[in-house]
Amino acid sequence: MPDSMNVLERLLHQTTVRHRVLTSNIANVDTPNYRAKDVAFDQVLGNEMQMATTDPKHLQTSSPAGGSGSVSSEESQLWADKNNVEMDQEVAKMTQNAMLFEAGITLLRKRIQMFKTALKTT
Amino acid sequence: MDSFGAFTISASALAAQRQRMNVIASNMANAHSTRTADGGPYRRQDVVFTTDPMESGQEGIAGVKVTDIVKDESPFRMVFEPGHPDADKDGYVSLPNVSVIEEMVNMMMASRAYEASVSAFNMSKAMFSKTLELGNV
Repeated sequence: MPDSMNVLERLLHQTTVRHRVLTSNIANVDTPNYRAKDVAFDQVLGNEMQMATTDPKHLQTSSPAGGSGSVSSEESQLWADKNNVEMDQEVAKMTQNAMLFEAGITLLRKRIQMFKTALKTT
Repeated sequence: MDSFGAFTISASALAAQRQRMNVIASNMANAHSTRTADGGPYRRQDVVFTTDPMESGQEGIAGVKVTDIVKDESPFRMVFEPGHPDADKDGYVSLPNVSVIEEMVNMMMASRAYEASVSAFNMSKAMFSKTLELGNV
């Protein structure tokens, strides 16, 4: 049971970090020589979400390549000022990230509600 | 980890873009100023943006700040206007090297960048409020 909470906590943490990175990209949209950054996020979550198996007959989840969730610069084409931030991309990513965060929060609320229900019925 | 990092970053961008707007406004206001305190016509100015790493030292995350306001050293516009008090002996007046069209474009860019940072700020706020709502399940 607490495992899923750990996963959710990790999800919230990662989305927060990514949100900050994307905010930094938007803030520096006009800074010369700035490179857009992103967090290798799906891989981190993939590692977290892998199901534990205790028997070979259990359903196997594919194991994604390991990622540290580190912040890396993107090597896309540069603007004339050696900056490669694309505003629409960043806003799209940020919206996606915020929705994921909200999903995590909703799940966590549900989880807490379940605990509360369990406590009430004893 | 600093919970309010995203707010600080957005705020730094808002401040920087606002300062850029001030400089653009100054350029447009002085598009025809032929006299300045330093002598000679007004010179167009521009801001220099530099990344401003957050104090937490977290890799890759940076706000932005205006580190310098530089003068545009391109030549002045020479306009033939013999009646002008600042005309030279051939009747030409040196007008500031301000192109109003260029300033308009810069102004739109500053305004869009400002709006984007406001959106980012609001999104940070929404995320933060959602976290706080966890307390009243």
